[in-house]
Amino acid sequence: MTIKVLLVDDETSFVEALGRRLTLRQFVVHQANDAETAMTRLADNPNIDVVVLDVKMPGTDGLTAIKDIKRKHPMVEVILLSGHANLEASVGGMALGAFDYLLKPVRLDELVYKIEDAHRRKSLQEEKIRTLRGSTPSASDERPE
Amino acid sequence: MSFAQRLSEFLRRLVGSHRPELSPEEAERLTALFRERYDSFRVLLAANGRALEAMAEMEQAYSGTRPYGMDFVVSNATSVAVRVYRMIQHLDVLAPDSYSGLIGRFDEIRGELDEVIHPVIQVIDAPLVLPLSKIRRTDSGIVGAKMANLGEIHNVLGLEVPPGFAITTAAYSRLRDHNDLRPEFHRLIQSTELDRPDALFALSSQLQQLIATAEVPSDVQETMDSALTELLGALNGDAGLAVRSSALGEDTAGTSFAGLYESQLNVHPDNLLETYLEIAASKYTPQAMVYRRQHGLRDIDTEMAVGCMAMVDAVAGGVAYTSDPKDETDRRIRISAAIGLPKAVVDGRFDADLFVVDRDRHAVVKRKIISQKTAFVLRPGEGISRRDVPADIADQPVLTDEQALEIAEIAARLEDHFGSPQDVEWALLADGRVVILQARPMHHAVVHTAAPTIEGTPLASGGVCVSPGAASGRVSWVRSDREALKMPNGAVLVIDYPDPRWAALLDRTAAVVSEHGGIAGHLATVSREFGVPAIFGIGSLDVLRRGDEVTVDADGLAVHKGLLPGLEEDRPRRNLMKDSPIHEMLRRALIHIAPLTLIDPSAPEFRPANVKTLHDITRFCHEKAVREMFAFGKDNEFPRFAAKQLHHNVPMQWWMLNLDDGFTEDIKGKYVHLEEISCAPMHALWDGMVAVPWDGPPAMSGSGLASVLFEATRNPALSTPFKKPYANRNYFMVSKNFMNLQSRFGFHFSTVETLASERDSENYLVFSLKGGAADMERRASRAQFVADILSDKGFSLKVIEDTVTARASALPQERVLELVKIIGYLLMHTRQLDMIMGDQRSIDHYRAKLEEDIATLHRKPTT
Repeated sequence: MTIKVLLVDDETSFVEALGRRLTLRQFVVHQANDAETAMTRLADNPNIDVVVLDVKMPGTDGLTAIKDIKRKHPMVEVILLSGHANLEASVGGMALGAFDYLLKPVRLDELVYKIEDAHRRKSLQEEKIRTLRGSTPSASDERPE
Repeated sequence: MSFAQRLSEFLRRLVGSHRPELSPEEAERLTALFRERYDSFRVLLAANGRALEAMAEMEQAYSGTRPYGMDFVVSNATSVAVRVYRMIQHLDVLAPDSYSGLIGRFDEIRGELDEVIHPVIQVIDAPLVLPLSKIRRTDSGIVGAKMANLGEIHNVLGLEVPPGFAITTAAYSRLRDHNDLRPEFHRLIQSTELDRPDALFALSSQLQQLIATAEVPSDVQETMDSALTELLGALNGDAGLAVRSSALGEDTAGTSFAGLYESQLNVHPDNLLETYLEIAASKYTPQAMVYRRQHGLRDIDTEMAVGCMAMVDAVAGGVAYTSDPKDETDRRIRISAAIGLPKAVVDGRFDADLFVVDRDRHAVVKRKIISQKTAFVLRPGEGISRRDVPADIADQPVLTDEQALEIAEIAARLEDHFGSPQDVEWALLADGRVVILQARPMHHAVVHTAAPTIEGTPLASGGVCVSPGAASGRVSWVRSDREALKMPNGAVLVIDYPDPRWAALLDRTAAVVSEHGGIAGHLATVSREFGVPAIFGIGSLDVLRRGDEVTVDADGLAVHKGLLPGLEEDRPRRNLMKDSPIHEMLRRALIHIAPLTLIDPSAPEFRPANVKTLHDITRFCHEKAVREMFAFGKDNEFPRFAAKQLHHNVPMQWWMLNLDDGFTEDIKGKYVHLEEISCAPMHALWDGMVAVPWDGPPAMSGSGLASVLFEATRNPALSTPFKKPYANRNYFMVSKNFMNLQSRFGFHFSTVETLASERDSENYLVFSLKGGAADMERRASRAQFVADILSDKGFSLKVIEDTVTARASALPQERVLELVKIIGYLLMHTRQLDMIMGDQRSIDHYRAKLEEDIATLHRKPTT
C-alpha cells in the first residue's frame, strides 16, 4: 500500500529535497511550509497517513499544530522533527499524541522506518475501530473543520 | 480490568467454570486487540533499543577521548528521554493504568536532567565598554583574559601597553539577544554533522554571516562611539586601531585559542563598528569551532569580548617565551623577532631571528640570525602590507643584545607576576620603547617517549620541532580551503606556511610539516596543545606528493618514506575533554540516565516508586511488557494467543507464544512443532543449542562441590521446594524476525532477545546470563568467562556480580543470526561451569573447547 505523507517545514529547500527522496521511495508526498497550509492540505487530502512536522516554524509552531491536527484528524499519525533538542518540547510533543520525535539531522532510512511504523500504527488503529464498531472507517473519523 | 471484573474472574476460576467457545466476533475483537498490543510491544522494544544505544554512546563518550559538543549531550539526553517516555506510553497500552506511578517518577527525573542540560543563562550585568585604564586581571569574566591581562600589565605593573578599551561580553550578549540569534544558532549547530568538514565549513559561514549582518543595538553603538571619541582625543585624533578578539577562555592556562579568532590591524576609526561585528563573528571560524569541540567548551564558556587599541607602528616585533615550549624545565627565555610588525612571527608567515637569554647570567647565550627579506608594515590609510627589506638591513640581527635583554627582563617580570611561564607578544618602537601587546600562559608539549630510530635517508630534514613525537600517514598538501576540505582523516598535513586557519584540521591530522615558520607561531602553539607532532621551517617540500606514505619524526627533524605502524599507540593524544565544562555536564547528565539500580524483577523493590534513573525505567518497562504479552492469551482464555508447548524430543519444556507471524500457520492445539515455527532467530538459537552435544556437567573438584553444598544451605532460591513463576519452563515469544527467550536451566537464568530484520539499523541482540549454584565468587567468574569468550565477537559487554550482559546492534540480519547461533551454543555449554571456576586448568580446557566449537558453528547445517 502506498503511504501518503505530508511534510511540513519552513525550510523550503529541506522539504523539497526530502520530498524528492521520499517520492523515489514510492511514498506519495504532499508539502507545506507552514502550519496553516498544512491544515489546508490535510483537509483537501483526507487520505494522508502521516505528517512529518517541524517543531520550530514561524507563525503557528509544531506543538500548536499537532494539537490542531490530532483534534481534526485523530487517525493521522504525526512525527515531530526538530533541529532544537529540548526535553520539555520533545516530551510535550509526545504527550500531545506525536508518534515519535526525531532530531535533525535525521538519516533518511531512519525517517522512512518511522513513517512506515507510523503508518502501520494507523492501520492497526483503524482495524481496531473497524472491529469494535463493526463498520469500516471512513471520513466519519475525520472531524469537520 | 475493573475490580468487579477481577472479582468475577476470580470466582469463575474458583468454581472451575469454563468459558464457552469464543464467537467469531469476539475472536476478531481479541485478534485486533492483540495486534495492537503487539505493535505497542514492538514500538516499546525499538524505543528500548534506541534508548540503550544512546546511553551507551554517552557513556563511551564520557570515558573516551573523542571530542563532542554540547549538542551531543543535549541531543542524546533528549533522545533517551523521548524513547523512555515512549516506552511508558506503550506499556500503558499493554497494561492500562497498571503502572501509573511511573510517569510521575519520569517527570521528576526529567526535571532534574533538564536543569543539567538546559542551564539557566545568567544575564551579564556589566558595562558595555570598559577603558583599559580601569581594567584589572579580575575583569577577565567580562573583557576576556587578553584584555584583562593587558589592563593588569599597565595598571598594576606600570609597563607600556597601547591605550584603548574593551567592548565587553555584555555588549556581545546584547547584540545576540537583540537579533534573537541564540535559538537559531542552537538549531543550526545541532542540525549539522560537525564531523564532516564540508558541513562544518558551511555552518561556520552561515553563523558568521548572521553575526556580521546583525543590527548593533543603539546603546552598544552609542557607548562604543563615545569610548572611541575619548581614545582618539587622547591620541590627538591621528591613529589607526588594532581590533582584537578577547573571548572568554582565550589566552588562559587551559586553552590558548592562539590565532583562532580574528584580529584586524590598522583599522580606520570610521570602520570600527563593521570590524567589531567581523571579529565577533570570528567566534564561529571553523578552527575555533573545532578547537572548542576538542576542549569540551560550551558556547557560553567562550563569550566574545573585543579589544580596541591604538595601533602600534613597530619597527620590530615578535614573541618571547619564558621557557622552552618543549621542555618546561629549561627556563631560558626565547625571543623570536622579526622586522616590522610582530604579525610576521605569530602568523608564522616569515622566518624570524631567535635570541636565547639566560636569565640567571643575564646574557644572550644563543643567536640564530636569518636573512629577513620581507616585513609587515602599516599601510597608509588602513590595513597592513608587505614590504621588501633593504638588503643591508635584512641580514642584520633584528635586536641588539641590550634590546633582547630588556624584552627578556619584561617577560620574566610578567612570569613572576602571573605565576606561570608566559608567551608574550611585544613590539619595539622607533624610539626604542618596548610595548606589550599580549601576555598569556605558555602551553608546553606533552612529555613523551622518544620516537623509535628510523633507518635510511629522510625525504626531508631540518627546521625546528614545534611539537614533539612521531606519526605516520599519507601526505595531504593544503594551500586552500578547497584542499582542506579534501584532506582525509589521519593524513600528514603538509603546508607552505603555518596559517592558523589550518588549526581546523588538527583534530584529524597525524602530523604537520611546514616549509616555513617557527616555534612561536599560533599554529605551533595549537599543535602542542593538541599533541600533534610538527616540524616547521623544514624548507622545500616539493619532494612530497599527495598520497605518499610518510613518517614524520618531529624530534629527529626528519620526514621518512613509508609508514611505521604502531606509532599512534606509543603516543596517545592528550585527552582534552577530561574535566572540561562539557565533560562535566555529561557526567551530571549521566547520573540521571545511566545507572541501573532496579535489577531483580522478582524483588519487592521492583516497582515504579523505586526507579531512580531513565535506565531503571527502561528495565522496568521491558520486564513488565514481556510479562503483559504472555498474560494476554491466558487472561482472555484465547488459545490462539496463549503459549503453546514445543513438541520436540528434548528434556526441558519450551513454550512458544506467537506474536504475529512466528508460526507458519494458525496452530489450533496445545502443541507446536519445530517445523511449524517460522521465526529465523529462534531457529538460529536452536541450531546453536543442538550443534554440539552437551557432555553433561563438568567434573567437579572437591572445593567446587563444597561451594555448591554451602550455597544450597544459604540461598533459598536453590532449595527444591522453592518455586518462582516460570521456574522450570523456557518461554519464547516469536515473530518472523523477533525472538524473546526467558529461560531457566536449573539455577542458571538467561534471557535472549533479538530482532533480525531487513532494517539493519534496528537489529539487535541482547543476551544476559545470571546465577549458578556455586558461591558468588565462582558465579561471577563464570560471568566473566562468558564475557571473555564473547569479547571479540562484536558485543558490548557488562559484567555485574554474577550477571553478564552482551549487546550487539545495528548489524545486518545474517550477522545477527550468526551471533544468535553462538549464544544458543553458549546457553547449553556454559551451564554449571560456575562450579569449575576455582580450577585454572579446567577453565583453560573449557575456554579452548568452547572457542573451538564456536569456530566450527557456522559450518553446521541450519534447520
